[in-house]
Amino acid sequence: MPRISIDQQTIEVAAGATVLDAARRLGLDIPTLCHHKGYPPQNSCLLCLVKVDGSPRLRPACSLPAAEGMVIESDSDEVRAARRTALELLLSDHAGDCVAPCQNNCPAYMDVPLMMRQIVGEEFEAAIRTVKAEIPLPAVLGRICPAPCEGGCRRKPGDAPVAVCLLKRFVADEDLSRDEPFVPACQAPSGRTVAVVGAGPAGLAAAYDLQLRGHACTLYDNNAQPGGALRYAIDRQVLPLDVLDGEIDIIRRLGAQFVMNWHMGVDGTLDELRRRHNAVLLAMGPVHGQAGELALATTSRGVSVNKRTFQTQRPDVFAAGGTLGRTRLAVRSLAQGKDAARCIDRYLRGDDPADAEQTVNVSMGRLAEQELAALMLEASPDDRLSPEGGLMRGFNRAEARAEAGRCLQCSCRGAGDCRIRALATQYGANPRRYPGARRRLSRVQRQGGVVFEPGKCIGCGLCVAIVRQMGEPIGLSFVGRGFDVHLAVPGGAGIARGLGQAARACVEACPTAALRFASPEPLVPLTVGAQPIAGP
Amino acid sequence: MSDAPDPRAFVDELVARRGRTPDQLVPLLNAVQDRYHHLPPEALERIGEVTAIHPADVLGVSTFYDRFRHRPAGTHALRVCHGTACHVRGSDRLDAALRRELGIPEADDTDPARRFTLERVDCVGCCALAPVVQVDELTLGHLDTRGVAEAVRRAAAEQQSQRWSDEAADHAAAAGGGQVLIALDTCCLIGGAGQVYRAVMDHLQRQRGRLNVAVRRVGCADLCRHGPAMQVMDRAGALHTYAGIDPADVESLLDRHFDTGALGLARQWAVKALDRLVRGPSATASTSDEPSPAAVVMPRRRPGHTHARSQQVRIATEHFGRLDPLDLEAYLACGGFDAWRQVVAQADPAGVIDLITRSGLRGRGGGGFPTGRKWAMARQQSAHRKIVICNGDEGDPGAFMDRTLMESFPLRVIEGLAIAAHAIGAREGIFYIRHEYPLARRRIARAIELCAQAGLIGRDALGGRAPLDLSVREGAGAFICGEETAMIASIQGRRGTPAMRPPYPIERGLWRVPTLVNNVETLADVPWIVRHGPEAFAAHGTGQSRGTKVFALAGKVKRGGLIEVPMGTSIHQVVFGIGGGPADGRAFKAVQIGGPSGGCLPASMAHTPIDYEALADAGAIMGSGGLVVLDDGDCMAELARYFLEFTQNQSCGKCSFCRIGTRRMHEILTRLCQGRGRSADIDELESLARQVTAGSLCGLGASAPNPVLTTLRYFRHEYEQHLAGRCPAGRCTDLIRYRVNDRCIGCTLCAQVCPVEAIAMTPYQPHQIDDERCTRCDACREVCPHEAIDVS
Repeated sequence: MPRISIDQQTIEVAAGATVLDAARRLGLDIPTLCHHKGYPPQNSCLLCLVKVDGSPRLRPACSLPAAEGMVIESDSDEVRAARRTALELLLSDHAGDCVAPCQNNCPAYMDVPLMMRQIVGEEFEAAIRTVKAEIPLPAVLGRICPAPCEGGCRRKPGDAPVAVCLLKRFVADEDLSRDEPFVPACQAPSGRTVAVVGAGPAGLAAAYDLQLRGHACTLYDNNAQPGGALRYAIDRQVLPLDVLDGEIDIIRRLGAQFVMNWHMGVDGTLDELRRRHNAVLLAMGPVHGQAGELALATTSRGVSVNKRTFQTQRPDVFAAGGTLGRTRLAVRSLAQGKDAARCIDRYLRGDDPADAEQTVNVSMGRLAEQELAALMLEASPDDRLSPEGGLMRGFNRAEARAEAGRCLQCSCRGAGDCRIRALATQYGANPRRYPGARRRLSRVQRQGGVVFEPGKCIGCGLCVAIVRQMGEPIGLSFVGRGFDVHLAVPGGAGIARGLGQAARACVEACPTAALRFASPEPLVPLTVGAQPIAGP
Repeated sequence: MSDAPDPRAFVDELVARRGRTPDQLVPLLNAVQDRYHHLPPEALERIGEVTAIHPADVLGVSTFYDRFRHRPAGTHALRVCHGTACHVRGSDRLDAALRRELGIPEADDTDPARRFTLERVDCVGCCALAPVVQVDELTLGHLDTRGVAEAVRRAAAEQQSQRWSDEAADHAAAAGGGQVLIALDTCCLIGGAGQVYRAVMDHLQRQRGRLNVAVRRVGCADLCRHGPAMQVMDRAGALHTYAGIDPADVESLLDRHFDTGALGLARQWAVKALDRLVRGPSATASTSDEPSPAAVVMPRRRPGHTHARSQQVRIATEHFGRLDPLDLEAYLACGGFDAWRQVVAQADPAGVIDLITRSGLRGRGGGGFPTGRKWAMARQQSAHRKIVICNGDEGDPGAFMDRTLMESFPLRVIEGLAIAAHAIGAREGIFYIRHEYPLARRRIARAIELCAQAGLIGRDALGGRAPLDLSVREGAGAFICGEETAMIASIQGRRGTPAMRPPYPIERGLWRVPTLVNNVETLADVPWIVRHGPEAFAAHGTGQSRGTKVFALAGKVKRGGLIEVPMGTSIHQVVFGIGGGPADGRAFKAVQIGGPSGGCLPASMAHTPIDYEALADAGAIMGSGGLVVLDDGDCMAELARYFLEFTQNQSCGKCSFCRIGTRRMHEILTRLCQGRGRSADIDELESLARQVTAGSLCGLGASAPNPVLTTLRYFRHEYEQHLAGRCPAGRCTDLIRYRVNDRCIGCTLCAQVCPVEAIAMTPYQPHQIDDERCTRCDACREVCPHEAIDVS
């Protein structure tokens, strides 16, 4: 019964137990990717490295037997740095985008691929929920946005980007044209109120988001009607007023109050607003000359804020949109309003207003020609559609479905529960630290619904071990050596044949999205040749 | 390959002969590869069908080893050696020249006519002959870019083979006769020792015994760079060494010493007088007991070996150059197997272990773990079955010690293994020998047979008191299989990936039984230690490093070869005292010691004694014994890049640090050598190197950064210069230009050899090099008789 010490805690474990076993009994968090209960240690990811008796060579805890008197460091800077390096190396050879580039490029970070799937599936109500989760004015933006999302579309170098902006507009128009447009449910009132100065894109977006989170908003605006530049600076041919009013109306229906023809310094002062409300968001556009009156610190561009919290030097006063400096993109103002609203929400709840740590995103950069060609095979081969009724009319349903079918769905189907991504975030790993050659992006889809993405394989070896242990007749193996090691099935058979009945166990064990089912549940039993075999 | 049988039938036949167990996988694949020069898919499929080997293992193993091809090859296999010595002598340029001259396209390894398939091998262990190319079974050494294609074509056309049959009979002589000793190790065979041997035999036969000369085959004679070597002991007992002999010289050479006719005697007198004139009186004043010959006469190359040998101490290489590798009687006559008999007779295994412990012997494979302690741990294991493995998978580029020891002293290595087995209580021994060493494998196998016939080993060895079964396993080209856990996986028919230790093989190794793995040289030291006592061994060396160490001295040095020196000898003594200093009048810059796991020590560290601790302190390692001398034409960043290329090619691909980390380091080094480095690259390289050292699972990954870390430590300025776009050694082709200086007399030689017509044919006028066309192949500089080509 060896006794060992881990991070100054002593524990006695059964003979044969590993350091990882001991650490887990102590409740210590040693990360693993290639460790799987019931299978021998793979020793491939080396994330569980620990320092043993002061030796400069770190050892994997998952396979290191606990020996009497061992002194282990499991969370020192040195150990954490090694784990971070292991993650950075694995991610440097990881072919995939955690988040689709369109979503990454969108200042409002809308989940474009999900919206596309919903359009293809004709789930238009679901689609408007997806859109409005991030963008409160989609019908408006769908008419005026220069669509930075489309600039990042993976399909752009292939033929032309998917018409993301028009499709978003289609979803929003479809919604507005219904008798009961979508009005999201709000959380229970928090009892807090927020003054939003300015009812342009930033202010409206902030109000929408704050209302959803249970905070009562009052918008103060110096114009007669809300909308700011959207109403007064844009050609009504491009953005008809009924569209703008339709979307503002939904914000009103959420409970937001509008005080119009209100001028800062004339009808009230910042200090009055601060007294009356629990927080103030300044979103009234450029503030030349007014800054002095507001008694806020400024930069050459506008009001100065903490970039992570949108707070001015007064903790209850936030600023977003044009107030921080002139922006040319409505979507950027809108996104800032929304982000500031989320900071205000955390502030009002007494939390740190700053957004929690950023989830790490792997992004592939430019695709090689054959990678793009392989991706394109999975989507509609058609050219980009133009609305038959002209741009002003937008897509009809059939067109929308067809165009959405062009989406390559390049976001990762495992991004939500990917273990390597979570650990990379936890350890602050930078996926771009070691740029260099990487695996090819490819997807192999076979009957049985198993999607195999070799580019996302980290070579952990679990599927090889599982398939071997379950006695699959064909099985799979690592092929080659060194950097080029990859998985293959004997005789060039498909991955589903190699995995056989072990498919479910392998998909569940896979620490990344290299092995996934195409849909959450396999739709049809796995088949080997013509002979159906029992489903996994 | 019309005569080749159906691959499936061939596999069936093999399996019938060898069995269907998983451990037969690598031998089966080797046999298929030998037969078809690639692995036909039908054969792989058939192995999965008719053996107990899972198809997934067939796939995994058949793609793990360098030697297995999955595509058909051309008629002739060309293997360009890229070992360290070959690399610093321009193997990349040979590769490029062969591609160009034989019309092998960039994207392929075979020319369109499918005559030649160009392969890259990491080291064939003929470093003293660098640069080296193998054409089928023939090895060509001392090549240059100009002649290589022609040499290859000729070799392919003549279908020559240096394959040497050890079955040839010796030629005995009556008492009082002379002796001719012909070195027949791989290096000398490459030089043509086989032909020399036959020429000697033919000549003696023609003379019908009139000369009364005995002919003996011997192992390496330390003239590796200048083979074939032959020693002549005249009737007076004086020993004369000749190197670089041509078969045509043989007759006159023998007549020189043994012709008894009046003319012959006159000639002998003249020769002696001439020798005295050339080399001074020492040339004739030697006795046959002295292992060093009095002098070396090299008809074709430089003399100078007398001095070189006197600083050496022969233990692992005892009777160096005098012993027929496969003459059991000769080996017995000089004390061979005395140690083995003594150990068995005393039946005191613990005493043997104590003796080895007291000798201070440490593992010679690189790790330096005390051998006695390892044996003691193995002995403590209570298992009934134990196994000893002799690690003959020497794969360090730039190293050929173990090859030479196995080729020259197979009986001694066997004796050492037998003693180890007896000491730990094992009855099974395995020699794991790399694929690239066919002669070593044949000699060890033959030596095992001889010992078994003589009752020295085998089930009834020494009257049944010391049963010992020995066998030989052939590798298939994977450096990592020199790591003991990977080697064990490989023998068991798995991919050669290392496993986490503990458990150490000593506790649970091959077939899960306690397994002792010792290096060839370690075992070769053992019989001597038993015979002479531990004190005699420990009398050599310093501190914690006792005894001697065998080194393969190669690279930019005048006299490369296999040397054995006492521990503690300084690098300077080895490079200058034995090696004769750098060749071609260049400046000594550094030594690379320990291969891809070792480091580069600068000339300023030449006082460093060669012992485990001193080398480790300097950032290098003892390693297995590769010692490559570098001169001012060698670029240290480029050398680091070379080693990382090797390790990342040879990484098994299992753990993140080694699989991806070595690749990233290689990418950074490549950027630097191409002048595309980024300002943060040097620091990033260093920090990544330290992480890879700390995090890798096995010794290969953990030591892979050593060449980087030592060159960063001693030659950081060179890295910085690369960052600024300059290669001070003039080696990195992207950073250099070739120019003609004013010594040019317009002889047109350079224009004739330039393969890309970058030099115009301008007789009697200074030449000019078109920089746009120039590929930096170095052919012009090599050929220029006036040193009129500058590299800047």
